[in-house]
Amino acid sequence: MSNILEATFAILIFPGGAFALALGLFLKGMDRKVLARLQRRVGPPLIQPLLDVLKLTTKETLIPTTANELAFRLAPVLGLTGVLVTAAVMPVGGVWSGVSGLGDILVLLYLLPIPAMALMLAGSASSSPYGALGFSREMAIMFAYEMPLIASFLAVAVRVGGAGGSLFSLDAIMAYQFANGPLLLDPVMMPAALALLIFIPGTMGSGLFDIPEAEPEVIEGPLLEYSGPLLATFNLMSAVKLVVVLELAVALLWPNGLGGNVLVNLAWHVFKCLALLMVSVTCFRAATGRLRLDQGFAFFVKYTSPLALMSLGLAYILR
Amino acid sequence: MRNLINKLAPRSPWIYRLNAGSCNGCDVEMATAALIPRYDVERIGCKYCGSPRHADIVLISGPLTVRVRDKVLRVFDEIPHPKVTVGVGVCPVSGGCFRDGYSTGAPTDHYIPLDVIVPGCPPRPQAIIEGIVKALDVWRVRLTEATCCRS
Ligand code: SF4
Repeated sequence: MSNILEATFAILIFPGGAFALALGLFLKGMDRKVLARLQRRVGPPLIQPLLDVLKLTTKETLIPTTANELAFRLAPVLGLTGVLVTAAVMPVGGVWSGVSGLGDILVLLYLLPIPAMALMLAGSASSSPYGALGFSREMAIMFAYEMPLIASFLAVAVRVGGAGGSLFSLDAIMAYQFANGPLLLDPVMMPAALALLIFIPGTMGSGLFDIPEAEPEVIEGPLLEYSGPLLATFNLMSAVKLVVVLELAVALLWPNGLGGNVLVNLAWHVFKCLALLMVSVTCFRAATGRLRLDQGFAFFVKYTSPLALMSLGLAYILR
Repeated sequence: MRNLINKLAPRSPWIYRLNAGSCNGCDVEMATAALIPRYDVERIGCKYCGSPRHADIVLISGPLTVRVRDKVLRVFDEIPHPKVTVGVGVCPVSGGCFRDGYSTGAPTDHYIPLDVIVPGCPPRPQAIIEGIVKALDVWRVRLTEATCCRS
């Protein structure tokens, strides 16, 4: 019983739910503001993502007559639910270690592609040629970035498991890092950390990897036909997805808190997410253009996957 | 709650450019206003979007040539309510230098009611941004009164 209550709390309020939504909108706002400052502009107010969502709720919903209406309406809801559940599984170092029996990085491997799946469903249900293009691009790039993700998951698991084999439990990964210092400072794990750092813009579609929703070519791809509250749901989904991938990298590589105080640890956690966002998304986006689909695919296969595999091999040899 | 959202909504205008057969002069100025950091339309929350379904404010340029009339009206109908229209340049109002040409019939405002007009041939980017800000007031009124600009 208490387990169910705990899980509900996790999904609706603390690591998922309200907390993840607020953190996601805040991070998105910071991203836009800092990007503007990097370009010497004033930039939008910090609450701009929230304003966008509120604005979209006042708009009319249009559905193309040729679209599959059920799938069209269901896709954003599925996506948002999926990321909220994923956010609930994420542990927050020193504050929350996940609901017992829920947190496991293999579960995360299944949950992480949900937003991409929702976008694909949206693109194919909208019956627009641009939506279909966005769908195929999303799928191709997903195949490319899943590989380094899985390899770095395995590297972490093998490193933490040591001689005893591999460990997939998030609790064990956190406990290992509390005892032995963050994996980020472990020379063996540095290539995998770099691969995860590249995975973040890859899955968020920013900077070099703005391929599925590329505005100049496919006009937002899967989201082209969406308007009003459904588009707002997609915006929220993308905000929470940002939180999820940042928290994932933090949990795998750098979950350590700052002493015993819960509030201090929470602030530290938010700070870590923010720092990671600035490095991997904002500065990256400000400094780079965009790749073609084949170049983006080759980038992950040629450079990112070997980095993660290198860590995996080293962790395996040195255990 | 509804009132609060109505008050906040015009702080996030998404802009769509609709070229109704313009000579491209106005479009270049709009692109300048949108792309150059110096003018920074993101300051008032603007985002230029490629899809008419995401748009709130439509910037229309050009005299509405006979050839594109149906397409422009169709795209215009795809923009969800409530929407605000801004005519950029003299073309949408009078036909400008294309007036009485064989390829243009009546100018844009005979078909689409324009809420704000930014005169000039082409207007300066600052004037376009001012037009957008004026359109926000129209939008505020439209949200509270729940009126449409074209049914
Ligand atoms: S107003 Fe002038 S610059 Fe603009 S489209 Fe008409 S002729 Fe071209």
